Amino acid sequence: MSNKNFDKVNPLRFVLIIIAALIAIFPFLWMVQNSFNTEQNIFSKSVFKIPDLLFKSNMFENYQLVIGKYNFGRYTLNSVFVCGLASIGQVIICTLGGFVFARMSFKGSKVVFTLLLITLMVPVQVTIIPEYYIMMKLNWLDTFLPLIVPSFLAGAFGTFMLKEYFEQIPDALLDAGIIDGANAWKMYLHIFLPQCSAPAATLFIIAFMNNWNDLLRPMLYLTKESLYTVTLGLTQFQSQYSAKWNLLLTGSVLSILPLVIVFIFAQKYIIEGSISSGIKG
Amino acid sequence: MKNRKLLWHSRFAPWLFLLPTIIGLLVFRLIPIVWAFVLSFTQWSLLGSPNFVGLSNFIEAFNTEAFLQTFSNTIEFSLIYVVGSIIFGLFLAVLINIKIKSIAFFRAVIYLPVVTSAVAVGIVWNWILGPNIGLVHSILANLNITAPYWLGDPKLALTTVASVQVWKMAGYSMILFLSGLQGISAETLEAAIVDGASKVQRFFRITLPMLSPTVFFVLTVSIIDSFKNFELIYAMTKGGPQNSTNTLVYDVYLNAFVYYRVGYASAVAFVLLVFVGVLTLLNFYIKRHWAQPLE
Repeated sequence: MSNKNFDKVNPLRFVLIIIAALIAIFPFLWMVQNSFNTEQNIFSKSVFKIPDLLFKSNMFENYQLVIGKYNFGRYTLNSVFVCGLASIGQVIICTLGGFVFARMSFKGSKVVFTLLLITLMVPVQVTIIPEYYIMMKLNWLDTFLPLIVPSFLAGAFGTFMLKEYFEQIPDALLDAGIIDGANAWKMYLHIFLPQCSAPAATLFIIAFMNNWNDLLRPMLYLTKESLYTVTLGLTQFQSQYSAKWNLLLTGSVLSILPLVIVFIFAQKYIIEGSISSGIKG
Repeated sequence: MKNRKLLWHSRFAPWLFLLPTIIGLLVFRLIPIVWAFVLSFTQWSLLGSPNFVGLSNFIEAFNTEAFLQTFSNTIEFSLIYVVGSIIFGLFLAVLINIKIKSIAFFRAVIYLPVVTSAVAVGIVWNWILGPNIGLVHSILANLNITAPYWLGDPKLALTTVASVQVWKMAGYSMILFLSGLQGISAETLEAAIVDGASKVQRFFRITLPMLSPTVFFVLTVSIIDSFKNFELIYAMTKGGPQNSTNTLVYDVYLNAFVYYRVGYASAVAFVLLVFVGVLTLLNFYIKRHWAQPLE
């Protein structure tokens, strides 16, 4: 890496950047490292516990136990299913809403938009009790519906993000649609939506991450163990086997691994999407 | 960019498109907010019908030592979080605002904790900070220093949990500040260099004032985010020891879904709503009066 820009960087600054990066990543490295420890080794007094399972034939023993016996395989599938559907819901609802607010004029537009903006600031704990009661009365407890259906109805920050993208699309496209006699639905589906595949994909990923990490709703709505999401499963494992640190850390690795992989490949979109909208994983 | 919004569609089209949004807004936001307000004047266990008890939930709350502590914990947590994410976010953004190839890599690494679950973050920090076998304790023990019980000491636990939250989210405010910094024109800074302004002068006289819209954006976002502490508290301390890390959002959960005191929990939720509302209004007021972006 001997490009000429590099030479300009103050070495002290570069060292500080590396330290900052290490502080950000070391708990995860520590987590991974200890997930390759046996139970005896993890309680040893040494500061740096050299993972005793590493490069042995039973190297993935902890992982096999956690995925199989402790059901994290199932939890992960549940999470993928729930988060996938909920995120599709978010994309549909937010592209529709963003399109309307960016490109349509109607009485009441400002009122609805302001209400959306204000209610976004309300913490979920304010509305969770009535929400729980509604789900209970619908007989949706112990189903995935309470985790999925609201995503198809209540658009969050994504609406604002997509509104801005729809506003940037040149008027010429709208004019072309009008000349072709496109109705509102065709205008949205065939002309505007294809222009927004990148932000829609970004929204999908960010919504997926948010849902993946959610704890309160899965905790309230899912009591059957076979329905647990991976985040919920991890907390339940934590309260049941608080002393099995090696397995708990293995579970933690498994719970964040899918997101870390997605992040590695899509980090540019995730970070830029977060800037434009105030949403994040 | 200003668009023409001519009436190219039928009058019903926007409402049809917004139908799910409006249903969601009503069913999952507006009605529950009003409903929670009404419930706060009742005694209820989710079963049977609620009993109207007037203001007694609020009277009880503000006469209970534990609730007052929870209230001040909430303020303290938010304060640590907001101040911490602004300071560290700005520091990291200034640090990382250079043009080298590997910077995207470092940016991503520092951002990583933002996308990982608070539960996994809480578990690994519990492990690092834990007594006896925890990393921090082991290192300090080797230096013959007795480490404090970060999460077991009621005096330290809240600061510890809030600091972990700052660690987790610093990358996010860094990214916001970074985009603000990149919006400052190079010419202005170069003009200041020509005028002989020092690095420190340039930062405080030019960069920071020009960054003030971003500072207020980060302030707004981090105030809202400072209430999203349920997951981390659940994973790290469950509100303990001795109520020392209980916050309003955690208290709502505890009362409603652990003790089944739904009316009381609704009163706590309403206090939370007022608190968030006051902070948001204050923020808008400050923004209007002190943070005019420089032309």
